[in-house]
Amino acid sequence: MGITILRLLFYVLIFPGCLFVTAIGLLLAGIDRKVLARMQRRVGPPIVQPVYDFFKLLGKETIIPHAANKTAFLAAPVVGFVSLVVLMLFIPVFSFSAFSGRADLIVVLYLLTIPGVALIVGGSASGSPYAGIGISREMVTMMAYELPLILVLLSVAKMAGGSALCFSLSDIVAWQEAHHSMIAHWQLIPAAVAMLLVIPAEVGTQPFDVAEAETEICEGPLIEYSGAPLAMFKLNTALKMFVMTALFVALFIGGIDTGIVALNALILVLLCIVLTVLCMTLIHAVTARLKIEHLFQFYWTFVTTLATVSLVLVWLGL
Amino acid sequence: MISYVHFPVLAVMGIFLGAFLEEIFGVHNKAARQGILVATTGIAFLLICALVKPVMFDGEVISYWMGDHVPVSGYAIGIGYEIDQLGLFFALLVVTTSLLSSIFSLRYMERDGMLGRFYVLFLMLCGAVLGLTLTGDIFNLFIMIEIMTFAAVALTAFRGERGFALEAAFKYLVLGSMGSSFTLAGIALLYLQCHTLNMAQLASMLHGNMTPVSVFAFGLMLTGLSVKAFIVPFHTPAADAYAAAPTCISMMFSGMVNKAGVYGVIRLVYVIFRAIDLPAMQVLLAIFGAVTMFIGVTMALAQHDFKRLLAFHSISQIGYVITAAALGTTLGLSGALFHAMNHTLFKGLLFLCAGSVLYSVGTTDLDRLGGLSKKMPQTTICFLIGAFSISGLPPFNGFASKWMVYQAIYAKAVESGNFLYALITVVAVVVSVMTLASFIKVTQAVFFGQCPVSCAGAKEVPLSMRIPMWVMSALCVITGVFYNQVEAWFLRPAVSAAFNVTHYIDVMMGEGTAAAFGISNVKAAAASFSYWDPILWLLLFVVVMAATGIVIITGARERGRILTPEGAEEDGKYATFFSGEKSLPSHVSGSDLFWGFKHDWKSYFRVMQGAHSGIINDYALWVVVGGAIITLWLTVFVR
Amino acid sequence: MFKKMIAKSTAKSPWIYHINTGSCNGCDIELVAVLTPRYDAERFGFKLAGTPRHADIVVVSGPITSQSKERLLRTLEQVPEPKCVVTIGSCPQSGNVFKGSYSVEAPLEQYVHVDVAIAGCTPKPEAVIEGLYKAAEILGKKREAMNQ
Repeated sequence: MGITILRLLFYVLIFPGCLFVTAIGLLLAGIDRKVLARMQRRVGPPIVQPVYDFFKLLGKETIIPHAANKTAFLAAPVVGFVSLVVLMLFIPVFSFSAFSGRADLIVVLYLLTIPGVALIVGGSASGSPYAGIGISREMVTMMAYELPLILVLLSVAKMAGGSALCFSLSDIVAWQEAHHSMIAHWQLIPAAVAMLLVIPAEVGTQPFDVAEAETEICEGPLIEYSGAPLAMFKLNTALKMFVMTALFVALFIGGIDTGIVALNALILVLLCIVLTVLCMTLIHAVTARLKIEHLFQFYWTFVTTLATVSLVLVWLGL
Repeated sequence: MISYVHFPVLAVMGIFLGAFLEEIFGVHNKAARQGILVATTGIAFLLICALVKPVMFDGEVISYWMGDHVPVSGYAIGIGYEIDQLGLFFALLVVTTSLLSSIFSLRYMERDGMLGRFYVLFLMLCGAVLGLTLTGDIFNLFIMIEIMTFAAVALTAFRGERGFALEAAFKYLVLGSMGSSFTLAGIALLYLQCHTLNMAQLASMLHGNMTPVSVFAFGLMLTGLSVKAFIVPFHTPAADAYAAAPTCISMMFSGMVNKAGVYGVIRLVYVIFRAIDLPAMQVLLAIFGAVTMFIGVTMALAQHDFKRLLAFHSISQIGYVITAAALGTTLGLSGALFHAMNHTLFKGLLFLCAGSVLYSVGTTDLDRLGGLSKKMPQTTICFLIGAFSISGLPPFNGFASKWMVYQAIYAKAVESGNFLYALITVVAVVVSVMTLASFIKVTQAVFFGQCPVSCAGAKEVPLSMRIPMWVMSALCVITGVFYNQVEAWFLRPAVSAAFNVTHYIDVMMGEGTAAAFGISNVKAAAASFSYWDPILWLLLFVVVMAATGIVIITGARERGRILTPEGAEEDGKYATFFSGEKSLPSHVSGSDLFWGFKHDWKSYFRVMQGAHSGIINDYALWVVVGGAIITLWLTVFVR
Repeated sequence: MFKKMIAKSTAKSPWIYHINTGSCNGCDIELVAVLTPRYDAERFGFKLAGTPRHADIVVVSGPITSQSKERLLRTLEQVPEPKCVVTIGSCPQSGNVFKGSYSVEAPLEQYVHVDVAIAGCTPKPEAVIEGLYKAAEILGKKREAMNQ
């Protein structure tokens, strides 16, 4: 009994919980900035720069403005952080899954919205009109990527389940181990591309960072945040990078399993780095920020079509 | 001690008697008025709750013949009440809603006159819906629908000094009467065919014996009940009526009145005609449900009145219920009933919040509200719980039921190989996100942001209005976290009752009747869902929260200070950042949100706005066309 | 350990908020040039922030016109501690060629404490980088002072 509780606590606090997620999230954010700089032929900040940013923000004053609702303003970033950590506990690291069999695609889909909602509620609670515009854009972004995301999830579920209902993430990973990784099945390649395009919008990197456009609406929902809550929000962005790429790995590249948890974790981190560079840094480096209506159009036409193609192909059993 | 078999009738009669007493004693005497109101709804609540153990847990189905007119030689001649688990499930929703609504109305209605008359109608509405869920006689059902509709119309028009209340009541009157007439015509045709009005006997005679006339009657009755459930294209009076009625009545509309329609549809399709195992029937209802949820939510996004927005969400959520019920699977019906129950809870809660805002500010226009979270903190918390529930965020109850609905629809898609259901799954998820969007809009426009001058005097509402809100909030959380218990105690009996037609017939008409007519039950697979464990999730959430909290608290001395504004408003450091300008009262109101989305959808919204013209003739035409489609579909495909 | 980490990080992650108080745009362009690939101030952790609430270093350019003075001071007040104020170019230091004009209220030193003043019309990007780097060091010291 005691051992079980200790093991669970280890899962929650160290691996794959708080500490691991935070460390890898910050690492990914650092790599993103470094590689972006190299792509622009700059030296770039050190890889630990996000850690510096985080600690610096912890040491700043936290100002709560007059117009803000104090409770919601301070609670929002913490709720976002906690839900991201909990989400990571449900995403299997190849064959290892902290709470096996309990992870469900729809649950993951909904847990993914909580950090966004936390950002929105926090921004809304700050009482700034800039934040009002920001949360409006954040919500439209959410509506934009949710449609392709559910199509992607359904096509993966259909592929793994065949003629049975399969919403369990660990079953999907197990299926990939028995067959090949999802990405190796040609029908799912459009879905994988769609998912890669969903990741930057979910994380909120350029060109999909309309909600936090610092040059036009002063960082949107984050405008009134300073100090520790801002540090939490910046950390949440970094965590989202890791959680989303790890979800991609679980859904599409789940077939590589070495049997050793530590090695698996290492492979996962490497794959996440590759994916981060591929779908966030690269796109960031070559594009400028979209307008919100263009973002919505892009997701509901182009990305949705890609995902639908996959769903139909899988459905036809080709 | 009287036996519990009398309880259902006593509950219904008690409420109607209360209505009568209100008229005699309550017109001038406030204490008598309020006492009678709470006593009758409270007694009904207790009586129905007392039935939970025998009916829900022990699986007994109560049959009760009025005046002991038992069937003679196999023909039911008296009016019979039959309380099975499905009916009791809806009856529980009805009594809960009416009790909470009556408590809320005590202070909420204090500024209105004519309260004696108001409460007569109020109790008539409660009694009618309660009777509707408990009755076993199809003509009695029609009578209850009529009482319900006319009480509802009169209550809609209650605040008739505002012109649009009368207009809304007129729309409701016309369309409601059309719905009732369709139902009555259907019942008349059935009576011609079968010479009986008892639902159990009808079920035994109609099964496997559908003539063109009875199919036509089915179409008419389905249309009539769909009008009562406000399914698109019959939804048009709902938006006006919900917005115009006093809020405690709007809450009852969404909590009971449209549930009555849903109950009627389920009873009709599952039990009386037992057409649910026909794929054509499933497809018809599923399409209607999907269209309802989509049109409901998109129309809600375009609204800028708090209550009207909630009204369109009611329509949209009923779409979920109908779609899930249409699947004809155990999981589907469980999801449908669960969502119907949750809708009663969270939509009631949201309406009460809207009512509180109306009570303390005097308007529900989203463009004129703002910053109420500081003035009304408890209402804000309740509203957020309701909003998160309806948007389906874990661990609130909306998530558990929506997740069951998605699973059921997608399982149906995989099982039947019908791609349509996969598309409906996608629609359902997207509608859920749009629901979230429109509640974010309300949150921003009403509760957060800056406080306009018109809201400066707002105060938290009195205790008797907060109690129902807190009760509903608590129920939203409890049913979300302990959904396994809800499923085992309430949903499973109700669902198996809907599928167990033989028992329904046998209890009413005597053992062996069903077998004599050659009726056997549809074998429905047991529902299976195990991947969502809210308690585990909550536990993890608490552990991680505690860990984060410890880090924050131990680090607090070393970190920067948290500064909260104290004293003068002019303090520059705590002013909202306005690019250096002195901060002005400027608030992003409801209509200004989601610009990009509205821009991309403008042609769709133009069409929808044109369609919701507000002209009663158009709406009546919609009802006729919708009825024609249903009837045609049934005559062609359902035999 | 925590305190040291925070102080060290404060020096290594200065975020800049730029306020133009009637500048001719020359200094502003040089400040942007500092962030371009050629000079790449991001290697020291510099980053442009979108709102004063996120800022550590407030960079002021221009001769503080009467119109902008009040706005400048209000914005400076909204920056959380520890913070540094850096002036860029000669205008905020002395008023430069605008000195004596009825609508110019330079120098900035009269109203707030200026930590680093980068002179020149306009200063070279190298000078700007050096000035900002010094400001970052001062920032770290301020944070350490807050610890005591």
